Amino acid sequence: MLSRTAEYLYWISRYMERAETTARLLDVGYRMSLFPNPSGYNNEWESVLSASGSIEGYKNKYDTIEQKNVEDYLFFDESNPSSVYNCILNARNNALVVRTSFTPESWLAINKTYQEILNLKEKKFTKSDLPDLTEWTIEQVNLFRGSLSSLLRNDGYNFLFLGLFIERADNSARLLDVKYFVLLPKPQYVGGNIDNMQWSILLRSLSSFRAFRWAYDGNITATKIADFLVLNNNCPRSLSFCIQNIVKHLTNLTCSPEKVGRIYNNLKDLNTKIQEEKIETIVEYGLHQFVTQFIRKISSVDNEIHKEFFN
Amino acid sequence: MYQSESVIRNHYNNINDWLDQMTSKVILEKNAEAETHFRNIGITFSTNNETARERIIPFDLIPRIFTYTEWLRLERGVIQRAKALNAFLADIYNQGEIIKANIIPKEIIYKKKSFEPSMFGFSPPRDIYSPIIGIDLVRTGPNDYFVLEDNCRTPSGVSYMLENREIMMRMFPDLFHNNRVTPIDDYPTRLLQTLMSLAPIKCENPEPVCVLLTPGPLNSAYYEHSFLSDQMGIEMVESTDLFVEGKYLYMKTVDGPKRVDVVYRRIDDDFLDPLCFNPQSVIGIPGIMDVYRTGGVNICSAPGAGIADDKAIYIYVPEMIKFYLGEQPILDNVETWNCEKEQELKYVLDNINELVVKEVDGSGGYGMLIGPKSSKSSIDEFKTKLSTNPKGYIAQPLLDLSFSPTLIKNQVEGRRVDLRPFCLIGEKAQLSSGGLTRVAMNEGSFVVNSSQGGGVKDTWVLAE
Repeated sequence: MLSRTAEYLYWISRYMERAETTARLLDVGYRMSLFPNPSGYNNEWESVLSASGSIEGYKNKYDTIEQKNVEDYLFFDESNPSSVYNCILNARNNALVVRTSFTPESWLAINKTYQEILNLKEKKFTKSDLPDLTEWTIEQVNLFRGSLSSLLRNDGYNFLFLGLFIERADNSARLLDVKYFVLLPKPQYVGGNIDNMQWSILLRSLSSFRAFRWAYDGNITATKIADFLVLNNNCPRSLSFCIQNIVKHLTNLTCSPEKVGRIYNNLKDLNTKIQEEKIETIVEYGLHQFVTQFIRKISSVDNEIHKEFFN
Repeated sequence: MYQSESVIRNHYNNINDWLDQMTSKVILEKNAEAETHFRNIGITFSTNNETARERIIPFDLIPRIFTYTEWLRLERGVIQRAKALNAFLADIYNQGEIIKANIIPKEIIYKKKSFEPSMFGFSPPRDIYSPIIGIDLVRTGPNDYFVLEDNCRTPSGVSYMLENREIMMRMFPDLFHNNRVTPIDDYPTRLLQTLMSLAPIKCENPEPVCVLLTPGPLNSAYYEHSFLSDQMGIEMVESTDLFVEGKYLYMKTVDGPKRVDVVYRRIDDDFLDPLCFNPQSVIGIPGIMDVYRTGGVNICSAPGAGIADDKAIYIYVPEMIKFYLGEQPILDNVETWNCEKEQELKYVLDNINELVVKEVDGSGGYGMLIGPKSSKSSIDEFKTKLSTNPKGYIAQPLLDLSFSPTLIKNQVEGRRVDLRPFCLIGEKAQLSSGGLTRVAMNEGSFVVNSSQGGGVKDTWVLAE
């Protein structure tokens, strides 16, 4: 497989995953905006912007934080590299180049999405459309992922999934962080009713609310949710699940065992740690610190993958 | 479709019945379906303006049909021509017999920009310079076919031929149950076999590694590049994916370097090797020509193959067929006046109102004058151009291209068509069982080029 092909495949699934995350973040903001804004909490749209890493870009463009502008910035804005529009555009342009490593179904899934978002963008939207837009995005990304099941299980497949789980690991960690760091500035709210309500919004946005109910008995508590999203290997968005899959698809690569070995060596400590860790220890240490370190580690693995395979 | 004013040719009867059954509503729906399909699979033009929507070529629902016997003659004629063109290339880059025999003047060949001096004395595998040739044909009467031009470099359009068939089969399966249409979907396999049969001498691999070399996503035929490489299961590479080491060509893969045996290039000569051709080129693979000349890789088509489809050389193709193959040409050339010759120029200037004047290096239907359809001022403009630069022009009579029934605003109307079938030459010579039919969608128009309002049709060859 061409190095460039591997790189493009890796980025296609990163972009598609990111499109979904951005859409889900918008959904979080939308749901939170339907509840009364309690004192002591930051503006929900500001947290959404922080979580998607778009706050600086947004502030360069707009003076005040308003739902309509945030929606536009995160969904359609061409100057925002993480907007759903740009993610889909980039995924599609990459897919155009690596069609040869794709099935026609995967290409169609991406290209149809692209054609439709062009139409959506022309028509723009009204406020009430946001849930439709986010739902549409999630559907499209699911179509794409579904189409991947028809691929040959070769290195291309593994690069696609490496990209997917690197992006998801990063995104899940950031979403967790929004909740813990941005949404909750005042310690007395931790564990309160409002706090739990917001945790459940987070779960919903990660499409994990019902899953969580099935996985854990009794009350929703911050610790249980953190356990679910960080350590639970049954949860497809948890950090540990992502790491497991990064390891799996990395070690499934048949090309260059020595390169695989080098990356694996960098990753294995994190993998062991996250499989053995207890949530209480992490919370005591500080979830925010833990998550920050995690994000840094994922980013260094990403750098290594680029250095070893794509250059 | 029509034999005369009102008599429908036999093999179009089925289509006529089918058309009769279709209501306007169905036609509208099917048109929309086709357009959506083409957008979805991405068979679009890229435009320079990135924010603009990509354009698609108008697709006409009514297929153009050839009977088995009609096609047999075309097939023999096109293959004959393709063989002669390759023989011509092998000759002029070696002994130059056709020049010694005073059939073609040497200055016509050696002074052309498309003649590549570095190819002199080198013979590519099997002496095939141009393994994929697209021949543009028009029809003016039941058995009167003329060759408008030859395309020996990197003819495009074959993806339309294949996708037009796909969409027709998808939208109108019954048509294919009721008509015996020869399949064309094995074209990519045949293309790959052709390329593999042209492995360079130093290739030891029983299954040579072929790649398709594209200039990149901004090229207007990019869809076709990715489509063909996908269908053939070969890598589509850009020049940055390739490099030369020792006497071989390699591509950069996740496993490290992998040797490449055959390059099906879809880029121009100028951009192949900055060491050999255009030193300003930022694309290109430094050293590839050296590897090529020493038998480490084959480049298809060969650098310098373009001389064979030059409009000034075109005039001599019938002579080539007689000279190299000892056969009579099966397909005729269009009568052509070479404005370089004083007498012919005079004729052209005197009769310009009746003639089509073309730039020797023009393409895409641009830079041409259709005398009978042009205003006095544009005719005068061309007269000046001809007088100042006669070498740059040829002239031909305006052919009465055949009409094919075409749906225009839900009505069946006649529109002019041409045809480009694709000929493959490697271990064997073969013709696609069909081709790309282009149709001038505007009433009365003679120009079928997509850049100027042309559309496309599915092209059927009926089985015996």
